[in-house]
Amino acid sequence: MTDLEQVVLHHEVAQFLYLEARLADESRYDEWLALFDEQVTYWVPRGAATYDPTTTVSYINDNRTRLETRVRQLQTGVRWAQTPASVMRRAVTNIELLAVEGDELRVGSNLFIREYAAQAAEETRTWAGRVTHHLVRVDGALLIRAKTVELVDSEQSLPTLAFLL
Amino acid sequence: MNGRWRVRYRCPGSGTIWKGSTGVTHEATEFPLHAPAPPTMVDGDRVNGLAYVDDQVFDAEMERIFCDGWVFVGHISEVPAPGDVVCRNLGGDPYLLIRGRDDEVRVLANRCSHRGTKLIQRPRDSVRSMQCIFHGWTFGLDGGLRGVTQPGGMVVDRADCDLARPGQVDTYRGFVFANLSGTAGSLDDHLGEGGRYLLDWACDLSPVGELDISAGWLGQRSTSNWKMWAESDLDGYHLGILHSSLWRAAPGSQYETAVFAGENVVTSTTRDRGNGHVELEFWRGYDRELAWLGVPRERVADYVADLTAARGPERAEELLWQGPPHALIFPNLFLGEMNLAIIEPVAAGATVHHHTPLTLAGVAPSFNQRVLRQSEAAMGPAGFLLPDDAAASERVQAAFGRTGGWMDISRGRDREVVEENGDIVGHVSDEVPNRGFWQRWHELMS
Repeated sequence: MTDLEQVVLHHEVAQFLYLEARLADESRYDEWLALFDEQVTYWVPRGAATYDPTTTVSYINDNRTRLETRVRQLQTGVRWAQTPASVMRRAVTNIELLAVEGDELRVGSNLFIREYAAQAAEETRTWAGRVTHHLVRVDGALLIRAKTVELVDSEQSLPTLAFLL
Repeated sequence: MNGRWRVRYRCPGSGTIWKGSTGVTHEATEFPLHAPAPPTMVDGDRVNGLAYVDDQVFDAEMERIFCDGWVFVGHISEVPAPGDVVCRNLGGDPYLLIRGRDDEVRVLANRCSHRGTKLIQRPRDSVRSMQCIFHGWTFGLDGGLRGVTQPGGMVVDRADCDLARPGQVDTYRGFVFANLSGTAGSLDDHLGEGGRYLLDWACDLSPVGELDISAGWLGQRSTSNWKMWAESDLDGYHLGILHSSLWRAAPGSQYETAVFAGENVVTSTTRDRGNGHVELEFWRGYDRELAWLGVPRERVADYVADLTAARGPERAEELLWQGPPHALIFPNLFLGEMNLAIIEPVAAGATVHHHTPLTLAGVAPSFNQRVLRQSEAAMGPAGFLLPDDAAASERVQAAFGRTGGWMDISRGRDREVVEENGDIVGHVSDEVPNRGFWQRWHELMS
């Protein structure tokens, strides 16, 4: 890959991650879900993502079915932990192409969210973490096959995490 | 409450300052005022909102319920090997559940006996000994003082410097309980027949009769009082309402026949087993065996065979229908079907609801994987159920405001039944468990 191709690919990936971030911030659930592949794994581990999630508990370890349930629950309008939806904005930074192999990419980024939890506690919360995306190109478009979010404080107890990371 | 409140209100005549029930400090006037009458916290089937928001009530609870009474610490399977240790807060203080070289599981203060530094920092660790980072005092896995840096200057008696321990520690079926003050009666008396039945039931689900609590814990924080978790965990009334988003998103759960089918149709019940140990009996309303596991018998044929061999066909069939208990062991252990949960009070308006999957010993890995998957779906800050409970409890806490107001827990009072053994049984939507919880609370706080 030439330097120019690398720059163009990095730009494309960055635009994709920014779009995903904006859709999540704005609770545009269907559009957000449409960015994911059929084979998706969406993992929010407790601590570093170095353990076997079939024997150790995670905050979220969704396959496609469970992720769709998560989105459907949010869309009922009576998911009280997220009704009214949190007002939030996130920054996606430090985007690195960690591995590029044909139509598959592994992308690392840092995530920083400021969330106003309007549902009950009326607190403003900060979330930060390392995100790893496994992206695939299908019919020319990027899709998320796997997304892992390692929150910096995930070893602690956490307040409600009912929005989409 | 009277004794407690008399102690806590300093009469203006004898001091210069007294503290009101809302925590506001008032200067005494030259003419002594009478201290306000202690507020009534439990009045029949009403609970005073101050019981959830008042710092003095919280302090009194930590003393009378969490220090003078029995509290759940952890399960021995969490520390399977010598040196394995987990951190727990009991009554607001840090403790360790740790297995010694002699294979004994102990509860020790997580606090250096010299200047009080917290010894174990990670929530779960494995250690050979415990050395304080501050001045290097070293403690064995049994809490005994092993080494002192520059011992020549030591004045206190070494024999007095072992790590502090609760006044009483006792274990039932691997569940470790502590009574910090040492002034409670026996654990056996605290659990009573009802508590022992519930813990036996959870263990009996394993073909070898043992839990294997090894999948780790997650904590959900809330800006609400700990008692709201004890209440909502044991509230059958809210399940179809507060959590309707899940039942719409994922229809077909076992609760449809057990809870949502209609007030006059459902056959599931609530039960007060005494001593604050209370239960929801969803299983009475299930429409099929293994509804709780969500699979037909053929898919877990080995489990069925092993359970039948271990428990006999009659008890095995009963367990296959019922699944795990849904019950509170007063005050802080929730047997939440596929989960064990610990309710940790942090402050009057702050709680952590910890949970871990109820994984069993003597079953196939795929069985425990299913337990873990169901646990993740229900509980934790990103679960499909618990965050909504947090939201409701936080709204209740917010609405208590400064003055509290009253909460009504009378539902079903006129249709509950007292059984021969003293258990009180009601409709699944009735507030029998809440009344049982508050009755115990009131006994301990009076």
